[in-house]
Amino acid sequence: MSSETEDTGVRDLMLRSLDRIVEEKAENAAQAADGKPGFPTALWAALEEAGMTALGEENDGDLGLGNAAALIERTAYHTLPVPLAETILARRLLARASIEIPDGALSVAPPSANRDGRAAGVPWAGSVVGVVVATGPDMIGLLDARAASVPGFNMAGEPRETIDHGRAKVIASARLADAPGVVEAEGALVRAVQMSGAMSRVLEHCLTWANDRIQFGRPIARFQAIQHLMAELAAEAAAGSASALMAVEAMAERGDRLSAAIAKARAGEAAGRVCAIAHEVFGAMGFTQEHTLHYATRRLWSWRNEFGSEVQWQAEIGRTIAAGGADNLWATLTAHG
Amino acid sequence: MPEFRFEPVVMPPTATKLRAEVRAFLDEEKAKGTFVPTVGAMVAADPAFSARLGAQGYLGMTWPKEYGGHERSALERYIVVEELLAAGSPVMAHWIADRQSGPQILKHGADRVKKMILPEIAAGRCFFAIGMSEPDTGSDLASVKTRAVPVEGGFRVTGRKVWTSYAHMAHYVIALVRTGGRPEGRHVGLTQLIVDMKSPGIEVRPIINVYGSHEFNEVTFDDVFVPEDMSVGGIGNGWAMVTSELAFERSGPDRFMSTYALLVEAFREIGESPNASEAAELGRLVAHLATLRRMSSSIAGMLNEGKSPVTEAALVKDLGTTFEQSIPEITRRLLPLEPRGGGNGGYDDLQQLAQLQAPCYSIRGGTREILRGMIARGLGLR
Repeated sequence: MSSETEDTGVRDLMLRSLDRIVEEKAENAAQAADGKPGFPTALWAALEEAGMTALGEENDGDLGLGNAAALIERTAYHTLPVPLAETILARRLLARASIEIPDGALSVAPPSANRDGRAAGVPWAGSVVGVVVATGPDMIGLLDARAASVPGFNMAGEPRETIDHGRAKVIASARLADAPGVVEAEGALVRAVQMSGAMSRVLEHCLTWANDRIQFGRPIARFQAIQHLMAELAAEAAAGSASALMAVEAMAERGDRLSAAIAKARAGEAAGRVCAIAHEVFGAMGFTQEHTLHYATRRLWSWRNEFGSEVQWQAEIGRTIAAGGADNLWATLTAHG
Repeated sequence: MPEFRFEPVVMPPTATKLRAEVRAFLDEEKAKGTFVPTVGAMVAADPAFSARLGAQGYLGMTWPKEYGGHERSALERYIVVEELLAAGSPVMAHWIADRQSGPQILKHGADRVKKMILPEIAAGRCFFAIGMSEPDTGSDLASVKTRAVPVEGGFRVTGRKVWTSYAHMAHYVIALVRTGGRPEGRHVGLTQLIVDMKSPGIEVRPIINVYGSHEFNEVTFDDVFVPEDMSVGGIGNGWAMVTSELAFERSGPDRFMSTYALLVEAFREIGESPNASEAAELGRLVAHLATLRRMSSSIAGMLNEGKSPVTEAALVKDLGTTFEQSIPEITRRLLPLEPRGGGNGGYDDLQQLAQLQAPCYSIRGGTREILRGMIARGLGLR
């Protein structure tokens, strides 16, 4: 990657600044927002003030995507209940379609749940200033859906609302080649990056717990059964995170759809195993509202379904490779290093 | 918190050209009938093929020219290695020498030994075996009993090694022996000695494996003389040598590509229009493979920078061998097999051979359970 050093310095500053905001203003934000309508105005303002909400539209060879992805990953690690990932995603899409980007929080409608005059499963539709929707095979639109949304939530209690297109206000619309495909792939990439962050939080929870929890006179971390489960959890989390990191680079360099498919498929599969192991290690304590583990695991269960579940992306990868012929598999895998 | 990040590597500018060169070489070899791509390239040995790889400059790639090497980067070597494996070529004769014995000798061997052995490895004329396991020593490696007793000018080695792959083709074996301490003394008093397989007192007996192939051996040392300067890393440093070797041994593409040829044949059998479940199952495997390549090449980058990513390597081997073992299990669900006793090198043959080989993937080079213990240690759980 170019400008590696400069880039990393800026990134570290930004991540530290996010950690500070969370510590000062959002320690219990995930709990406060869980399954409740409304918008975390104060938290969003803090992120805005720190310059974190205006990422995504840079036209600088997408150096910005690496930084944006690092920020998205970190907000997921903190299970922060804000549409920052969606805003960054929307800004990228709007910039690509040359639509003027409004200030404030934005969102994106998953194309697969956009039919019969309604868009379902739209994050924060009722409280953001604009929602990007693939309105045709080669068209995207920016809608104000604040007066046209029915509230709802995903498994993690994050707002996932249904927009009635007939009642939404169209702010702008423009051509974007293969709009539903592009929106789906970019959304998948963002969710994969978020899963990477949340899996790293789950690993941290489990390490702390396994070292603290005493049974049979010793920390459960001393039991080989637990050690092997944790090794598997760490390996899956590392694989999911590696696939997401790889896709961020490939997307930034060349808009590589296959890499986004691989990331969503691999990170989604990892998320399932990571959550299962984490809850096994935690026993009953991890199954309570009281412990914070579920803010990460419920998000992982939700995110692996959103913008295409792993099986949909696996099938796309399989079809793509099959269509290219068996003997081209290796050339495809090695095409970019 | 310990966290494992697999950062990208920047492939050298020569990468594309090198890859094309290796592919052209392999295409030519295939056209000449040198080999038919198979699963477990790691078990097919052809000394003449190894010598041709040496002549191409594909062995000892990263070593100094003065020792017959080619002073190329670890990443260039990575490209060559993965191309050889993807082609299913017979690499086993030189594999251990090039992957771990040579680098160990280069780093820790005496100068006379380096000058004598390394150019021969790089030429593809000198092969190595690993003498670690013994009849009573498997995963618990520190319990080795083979002894080396100091004598005038060197050592006399007595003991028995088992599961010594390709000892019958090897010119040398690097044996982990006890030079001091009691066997209960665990990690102290262990030494790695390079033993010339032509030495009087060595006996090699084949151990035929589960699919009828001669890869393993039992190697008996009866008062075998080893010159003093043939130790790797000095006397008593055997344990440190063995553990540092493992990052090289465990993270390469040979830990996830053993059944790659079967994946390709499954794609061929299923054809260009798979149904939904075929597409998803095969696509899942491709997603795993692409991710493992990323993790493995990232480790090659760490090794290139002089780091010793032992936990990361264990993690890649655990994921990688699980993946390569899963390929025959998944493809047989997609393409039910009615064994026809083929012999055509196609899907049926590869499917059967892969099933028979698969158990060894998570045993050789450290069992899955040992690796998980190492990862747990890396996580601070033990």
